[in-house]
Amino acid sequence: MDPNALETEAQSAIAAASSPDELEQERVRYLGRKSELKQALREVRDRESGMTLNALRERLETAFAGREEALRGAELEQLLGEESFDVTLPGAEPPRGHYHLITQIRREVEDIFVGLGYEVVDGDEVEDTYHLFDALNMAPGHVTRSPLHTLYLNGDTVLRTETSASQIRVMESREPPVYMVSLGRVYRRDTIEAKNFPIFHQVEGLAVAEGITLGDLKGTLLHLCRAFFGEDQQVRFSTDFFPFTEPSVQLAVSCFLCNGAGCRTCKYTGWIELGGSGLVDPNVLRNVGYDPEQVSGFAFGIGLERIAMLRHGVPDIRLFWENDLRFLAQF
Amino acid sequence: MLPGGQKLEAAKLRGEVSEGMILSERELELGQDHSGILVLDDGPEPGTPLADVLPLADDVLDLEITPNRPDLLSVYGIAREVAVIYDADLAPPDVSGGQSPGPGRNGQVDVQVEDLEGCPRYIGRLFENVAIGPSPAWLKARLVAAGMRPISNIVDVTNYVMLGLGNPLHAFDTTKLDESRIVVRRARKGETIRTLDGETRKLEPTDLVIADASKPVALAGIMGSEDSEVDESTTTVLLEAANFEPLTILRSSERLGLRTEGSGRWEKGVDPYLAETAADLATRLILELTGASFAGETEVAAELPERPVVSFRPERANALIGLELADKEQRRILTGLGFDVTKDWNVIVPTWRARDVTREADVVEEVARFHLNEVPFTLPLRRTGARLTREQRLRRLVEEALVGAGCSEIYTTTLLPDDADPNALRLPTPLTSDQAVLRTTLLEGLVTTARSNLDVGNEHIRLFELARVFLPPADPRPEEHWRAGGIVQGGFGPAKGVVETLHEALKIEPSFERTQLPFLHPGKGAAFEAGWVGELHPERLEGEWGVFEVDLPALFARVPERLVYQDVITFPALRQDLAFSVPEGVSAAELVTAAREAAGPELHEMRPFDVYRGDQVGEGRKSIAFAVSFQSPERTLTDEDAARLREQIVSALAERFGAELRA
Repeated sequence: MDPNALETEAQSAIAAASSPDELEQERVRYLGRKSELKQALREVRDRESGMTLNALRERLETAFAGREEALRGAELEQLLGEESFDVTLPGAEPPRGHYHLITQIRREVEDIFVGLGYEVVDGDEVEDTYHLFDALNMAPGHVTRSPLHTLYLNGDTVLRTETSASQIRVMESREPPVYMVSLGRVYRRDTIEAKNFPIFHQVEGLAVAEGITLGDLKGTLLHLCRAFFGEDQQVRFSTDFFPFTEPSVQLAVSCFLCNGAGCRTCKYTGWIELGGSGLVDPNVLRNVGYDPEQVSGFAFGIGLERIAMLRHGVPDIRLFWENDLRFLAQF
Repeated sequence: MLPGGQKLEAAKLRGEVSEGMILSERELELGQDHSGILVLDDGPEPGTPLADVLPLADDVLDLEITPNRPDLLSVYGIAREVAVIYDADLAPPDVSGGQSPGPGRNGQVDVQVEDLEGCPRYIGRLFENVAIGPSPAWLKARLVAAGMRPISNIVDVTNYVMLGLGNPLHAFDTTKLDESRIVVRRARKGETIRTLDGETRKLEPTDLVIADASKPVALAGIMGSEDSEVDESTTTVLLEAANFEPLTILRSSERLGLRTEGSGRWEKGVDPYLAETAADLATRLILELTGASFAGETEVAAELPERPVVSFRPERANALIGLELADKEQRRILTGLGFDVTKDWNVIVPTWRARDVTREADVVEEVARFHLNEVPFTLPLRRTGARLTREQRLRRLVEEALVGAGCSEIYTTTLLPDDADPNALRLPTPLTSDQAVLRTTLLEGLVTTARSNLDVGNEHIRLFELARVFLPPADPRPEEHWRAGGIVQGGFGPAKGVVETLHEALKIEPSFERTQLPFLHPGKGAAFEAGWVGELHPERLEGEWGVFEVDLPALFARVPERLVYQDVITFPALRQDLAFSVPEGVSAAELVTAAREAAGPELHEMRPFDVYRGDQVGEGRKSIAFAVSFQSPERTLTDEDAARLREQIVSALAERFGAELRA
């Protein structure tokens, strides 16, 4: 037997095999028990030819194994290729839930202010008139206190018209500094229409510490407005009036819909009013036992529905309370 | 185009093409005169734009005035602000020739003020030989631009002075006043007045009225009466320049639902010193425009309030504003606004700001508001670390678990027509009867919302709400509890799955037991530590719906503070299925509890996966199959261990429940 001729013949047979079955037949022919090589190995007498033949056997075994892997791989690929289907069909759908848009806005506000070092306070929705009105410097004749504006449970228990009563409670309970935002439902005696709902959500912020300035209020609200409406937005402040702040200023953000060109949303002014703010009135500080000569503070209030309606173009506040899944699933 | 929006175009009129139209005052909204066409004085060339002849084309500023600034409800008040902004001088109102001739004439009008609190000042001026007629075009145009209708020279003058200076005035026809007298007093019970708008109004003793010798002739500060109105035949006029107390006017105006330009100013507080200037300006104009003669005057007044004096520190203003404004600039602003500032910064407040500016902080605002745009954007220097509270973080986790379980979040109203709890808090005067009660459960909102979604054809309805309920008694305030509630299409199983997912997310193991609640299917309700879950009673909503409500304080009380590692990997679990036949009334949960007691901690898990009823278990019995796994954190359990544990379970269940192990 000529090992060289045998190897050449076997290698070309391996290469020629086109399926694992054919390859197996060739393996039996060249490496099987009755193959020429195996017989020669059994009959070998000298060490040198034994080594030659064993090396040949190993080479052939490697060649068979390599070819087999290649053939099996090709066979699998062909099988898988036949399984190809329309990948544009939808996937299996797990049940999908959605956060209410107001919850999403609420969380954004909370995260922005936690990032600035503010605590988040929930506060009760049923309040007494002292914490909601008197302590906030609203005199007994103030128009908000009228039962035409506020829902009373009895003479001195009301559904809160704003969340700031919780600011009073926090300040009463501890010494400054206080950095807090209160978020939640508030109630007004309003009829239900496109822009009004008797229940809505507010964020009100309060910072009281030594040396707080009107500039700190401006910087904080600029940060908030940019987080919500984009880093390019500007804010503007104009004079306003609230019993619990002095000076009082109204916050407006540059119109992110028309970029100042003028549109219906900004009433062709380029600015959108967002809410009231100002430096905490010294009477409010005194009412909670703080010394207005030692500490100063700022406060602001913005409606969450207003933010949501502006940013997402929601035209009607009632959509938030109708909870139609087709609406909820958009956000 | 006409003011009403009507377009004038060429049109055929009686067969002739008309290219234009000659207009009356009323068609131009310049006045009410529709008796003929408007004839312009001085005969301008045809084709001259009307705006060049009449002062029509002035720009009109629409300003929003805050309630603390009634002084700005006047052109002069605005001018004062503008003068400060532009550092310009402000001329005093031109009242030349209108001043009172002096005390010699005083007392010639019979004015009596019975209520000096409600009316701290009353100036009555008498004019004779008044020729009532239309106002000149300039006056009409200014009134129209300010949104008022020109009526007659006398009435227009009173309105013009109100708009110009901020002090509402009134004019009476003296001949229509009984005994030509004016008495300012509270209304008497049963009195009525027919106001200029034609309404007859019943008066209360809280209403302040201007009366003559016998009857009210005006609702003070709000509206005059038809009886005493100035009309075309009037020749003697009593001009009223008074001051009224704000709350009295506000109460009457609110009670009667009658708001006028006058009441809107009085209710905010008008400077009592202004009455005289207003009287003088009106006098000047009346003399000029009506040819009248000034026949006499009476003034009745309480002691007018002193100007407040505020001790002010310009450096304190800077510290609060966050700017370095020079003392000189602060002084300039205050002086320009009418404050007197002494050398050592005592600030004497002008009479028209005496209600609003009484403290240093108020003066700081006066300075700040002229420099708002320059205030820098800064953040507070001293800040503290902060994070959400445990309860807030857990509430977010609840939302995440429920959204993850495929539920969409809804917001429903806190105020409902009624509540299952008869002690639920009720609003004594709700806005509408369906917003009358503070809810004690989220159930109604869930059912209502599921129904509305069903009605519009939505599918796969799974909803939840996180909100507060209000638990009586109100002592003095109710207890407010956060709750999570849900409603899930498909009945009990899907809802219970959501509840279990929620507990798993919080690492709490709930235990369920059968319960009956009036709104649930009587056989499919379960209570657990923090709430209930069940199938909604089929009468409540069409279809099969699972509902649940979880009290969050109760749930959060069971959340572990810290999770401790348990080795469930090193030593593998031994798994087997065990099926027990038990009487129908025995629950799976009872079997699991008993098995845990019997086998101890090495019973790692015992989860029911199948319930079978039929011939093989016999009447009145059922078979429950459990997937059971045994595991120890210390060693690999052997088959002998498993056999021992299984035997402990089997004998305990047999003894307690008559359970028989099947195959």
